[in-house]
Amino acid sequence: MKPGIFKDVVNSFVSVVKGLKVTLYNWSILRGPVTELYPEDKPKLPERYRGMPVLPVDPDTGRCRCIACGMCMRTCPEGIITVVLDKSDPKDRKPGEFTIDISRCMFCGLCIESCPVKCLVPSHNFELACRTREEMVYDLEALMRMGGEFPPKEIEAEEPEEKKLEEPDK
Amino acid sequence: MITLDLPVLKDLSIEIIKIALAAIAVLIFVLVFVLYVILKLRWVIARIQSRLGPNRVGPWGVLQTVADALKLLQKEDIIPTNADKWLFTLAPAFVFIPAYLVYAVIPFGKNMTCASLNIGVIYLSAISSLGVIGIIVAGWASNNKWSLLGAFRGASQLIAYELPVALAVCVPVLLAGSLSLNEIVAQQAGGILSWNLFKFSGWPMIPIAFLMLLIAGLAEINIAPFDLMEAESELVAGFNTEYSGMKFALFFLAEFAESFTLSAVLVTLFLGGYHAPIYALGGQLTGFWGSLVSAGWFVGKCWVLVLFILWIRSTLPRVRIDQLMNLSWKALLPAGLVNLILSGAYVAFWMPKK
Repeated sequence: MKPGIFKDVVNSFVSVVKGLKVTLYNWSILRGPVTELYPEDKPKLPERYRGMPVLPVDPDTGRCRCIACGMCMRTCPEGIITVVLDKSDPKDRKPGEFTIDISRCMFCGLCIESCPVKCLVPSHNFELACRTREEMVYDLEALMRMGGEFPPKEIEAEEPEEKKLEEPDK
Repeated sequence: MITLDLPVLKDLSIEIIKIALAAIAVLIFVLVFVLYVILKLRWVIARIQSRLGPNRVGPWGVLQTVADALKLLQKEDIIPTNADKWLFTLAPAFVFIPAYLVYAVIPFGKNMTCASLNIGVIYLSAISSLGVIGIIVAGWASNNKWSLLGAFRGASQLIAYELPVALAVCVPVLLAGSLSLNEIVAQQAGGILSWNLFKFSGWPMIPIAFLMLLIAGLAEINIAPFDLMEAESELVAGFNTEYSGMKFALFFLAEFAESFTLSAVLVTLFLGGYHAPIYALGGQLTGFWGSLVSAGWFVGKCWVLVLFILWIRSTLPRVRIDQLMNLSWKALLPAGLVNLILSGAYVAFWMPKK
């Protein structure tokens, strides 16, 4: 008989009990399932989640703050942003056309960083599936509709970065 | 000339109708139980892996296994070209019928045994080891190397574990002095302290027999950690690789019906059968309500053991074939022999006479 065989027998039982203890802990109410039932329960996104870039509406003026400088258009590595200046009123710089072809967007966020007036912000929207490629090109109205409104100005002055990101898609 | 109104024939026909009714009742019980156990297994494994498990079909997913069974029913029934068609078709029945026949002697409750045999324990171990014939037939008839390897493993495993099971079963039989399951259960009447496992005033080595029967029984009904004959990672699916549709469903049914058989045997021999843990909770009832309450206790105890089996199944990794053989021949068999000899000596010399 091998020396230490009784120790082995005892150890084997102890290890089985240890394993059962681990699975019992997972089985018990102490540690529930971590599954997210995605279509029914939306995931809790972090506050600074970088979804699709949108153009929220300024509640004071009733339109987006874009000055049509074209920085985002030039920065975009994919070249999917088109900004055309509306030249009808020379004193008021506003975009006449603003499209993002989200089908080729890689969500790098360079357009948002380069925006000098911080009018382009990331949204929490990631459900962008649609049936045709044309539907994935979002124009100015769609981007403003998805962007919602900027929060009121005085709060924004204290923490501009944080407050802008509060669910701009709602 | 034989006419049908002979009294003997009349009695016989009534007897046959009774047997048929009992068989149908047991079959329905087995089907419902297996459907729920499969669901419970998936829930338990899911929760242990921090998942949710089936929750789509019906409320909380309770109809998932029904949907699976219906799906299996309407699937194409494929028989491989080079398979032995007769044996291939018969093999699922060879596996399922023994698993079903075992239920005949199990005392479900007071006066609720289908066939009260006076050699119930022998019947039990004889019939439950017949299932492996179906597995070998399935592996052979499939004409597939994985199936055949699985079947060979099943055969060697069964031979190795039949002995420890028999040795462990012998201990309560010796103590009861009877081979009848009803008699063994009847001797455990009273509270929890007169059950064989917790009878501290009696023979102290009963728990070893219980543990041996649990381990060897798990190996005999081929469930994890001893499911070597259907080891997915090594043998595709073992003996049922080539099976599909209803035949596969029968294998599945037999496997889970056997897990209830194991817990029923453990409960009958060691955990007081259908007796309530406290006498006042149903022990004094007789007649219809006595049968019903005692059957409830029996199924409840079995359910606890089935949950324990599912817990083990979802915890322990599969053993290697050499470890399996070592465990049986080098550990369980000597321990069982020593236990049996000591128990026999206790019964012969020290046990108080009844």
